[in-house]
Amino acid sequence: MEWKCQIESIGVKTPGRILTTSELIGKFRIPCIRKFGLLTGINERKICSAGEDSFSLAEDAAKNCLHHSKYHPEELDMIINCSITKYKGGLSHLYEPSFSALIGKSLGARKAITFDISNACAGMLTGVYIAEKYFRQGIIRTCMIVSGEYISNLCTHAIKKIRTPLSSELSSLTLGDYGAAAILERTSDEKKGLTVSGFATLSKYSSLCVGRQNRNSPGGVMKTKSKKIHQAAITESVPVVKEALQKCGMSFSEITWLIPHQTSRSSIISGANHYYDYFRERPEQVVITLKETGNTASTTHFLALYKYLEEKRFHENDNIMLLCMASGLVIGVVIFRMNDMVKRYGH
Amino acid sequence: MGTEIKMVSVIRPSVGFHHPNSISLGARVARQCLNDADIDPGSLGLLINAGVYRYKNTGEPAIAALIQKKITDRDHIKNGRIDPPNTFSFDINNGGCGLLTGIEIIHGAIKNGDIACGMVVAGDAEPFFGLSENFNINSAAAAVLLDKSGDSKGFSLFRTYTFPGYSEELVSSSFYGKSRFLRKCRNRLNIMQKESFPDACVECSVKSLFSFLDELKISLNEIDLIIPSQNPLEFPQMLRKRLGMNGSLIELEKTGNMVFHTAGPAFALKKVWDDKRFHNSGNVIFLTIGSGINVSLTLYKN
Repeated sequence: MEWKCQIESIGVKTPGRILTTSELIGKFRIPCIRKFGLLTGINERKICSAGEDSFSLAEDAAKNCLHHSKYHPEELDMIINCSITKYKGGLSHLYEPSFSALIGKSLGARKAITFDISNACAGMLTGVYIAEKYFRQGIIRTCMIVSGEYISNLCTHAIKKIRTPLSSELSSLTLGDYGAAAILERTSDEKKGLTVSGFATLSKYSSLCVGRQNRNSPGGVMKTKSKKIHQAAITESVPVVKEALQKCGMSFSEITWLIPHQTSRSSIISGANHYYDYFRERPEQVVITLKETGNTASTTHFLALYKYLEEKRFHENDNIMLLCMASGLVIGVVIFRMNDMVKRYGH
Repeated sequence: MGTEIKMVSVIRPSVGFHHPNSISLGARVARQCLNDADIDPGSLGLLINAGVYRYKNTGEPAIAALIQKKITDRDHIKNGRIDPPNTFSFDINNGGCGLLTGIEIIHGAIKNGDIACGMVVAGDAEPFFGLSENFNINSAAAAVLLDKSGDSKGFSLFRTYTFPGYSEELVSSSFYGKSRFLRKCRNRLNIMQKESFPDACVECSVKSLFSFLDELKISLNEIDLIIPSQNPLEFPQMLRKRLGMNGSLIELEKTGNMVFHTAGPAFALKKVWDDKRFHNSGNVIFLTIGSGINVSLTLYKN
């Protein structure tokens, strides 16, 4: 028998500090960058306070997720950590052991198989892609996908380096920190199961956004050709979305909520318009949540899901499409029908 | 439908002026593996990189995507193709168990009928030249190409055992600070391995191996070959002694105090692949061990 999987619960961890766009832009003396907030739609981002890092965000998000879940830590069969940054103890990058092993230990998930993956901003959805393969084979019953992103240090680096509005580090100013986690569970209900489709890496675009550890200062540095990567992602994702809809036997207008990767307001809107030109129909709502959080890398989709669950915006049986576009260039789609999870949030 | 190993390739950096780079090593070994198996890079459904120590500690894109770019770029020039290959690439970070975790994921995708073939690349090199302490890992890379097999040949069962009580035996991290030889502060990598780590590895491996054999309902005598991790340094030798298996547990020749990390099991596989012992063995066990401590095992049938 081939099993399906569904999202059982979602948890997040909000970092302790707030950095507003006006505070950030106040650090520059170049007039063009002052329009940044208007263009990106980001009013503020949450950033790590003292004592917080990628690990603590991931760990706390995992605990929050378990708080919303019917499962206990010892019932978790697998934990996959998907964060790009692996900072533990400030800006000290942990190579080994894996974050997931340490999170498993901290939660008391004694029997969980643990490993980390890394696939840029598509990390958590890649985690879903991998977990779904294990569910289908019947190897696991539960899986926690977790990520903690401490990427505001890229923004700190960019502030020092940006001299013109054409700087390749300008995209770093959109970044914010966050932790997110989700528990997936086995289900035999075909209708509620996740449909994972079209995950592909278009590697000819892989040099358009590169993030690395900084050699000479703490943290990292990210260089992006934002216009090119945005255009490539929008154009190349159309056939992927089409294929995913065909796989589910749905039209684009049957999607209640489209949750794309949260980069900037203008790029999400232009992407939605491009889809309209192609499909001649729209999803009911396109979710934009970056006003108060910025671009939180691999956590954006689950953060948006959590926010809308808490605000009671979702209804049972709403069709939701998670669309990832990440450096690589990674494109993939996850479609699912909202389950009774809506009853457990927003009280 | 099962999954079999179609080809295995390994590579060490050639002696030269340049500092070894994990991306170039990974791309070179992946290309070599595909050429040896006569497979088109575009037909890979999954490409997974399992290396831990990556060039300049690149966070994004995934190293696998950069390797994919390098292998498909050259293929496009050769064949004049312009269509993008339908490959999905990502990185796994699971210490010394990464190679086997990657194989398990590809095995699952082949078994589900999602892909026809996939490749795991495991390559490690010092992230920043000269900016590490206690870095005893050989610059090396390996690629394992997996294909579907029609019969019962190939991988049969995968199991991972975790021992969280030993999570502090090996800790590898980078930190920002001064060293004895540098006037300015730099991000430096430091690998801290406790003296008891090899013993703990052997203890966990033996416990896991016998649990695994119990589940398979076979005895150790029925195993023809064990292909283990080669890190920590004394691990294969100690495990061989403990299990009382002489030539059947593969150990690589020593390279001083340096070890083969994520690529280690593939180097051991290559050794028996070339001398035909792998193909002549009925039951082969892959046993990998990584920090955490995690032990991954699988049975391969010929």
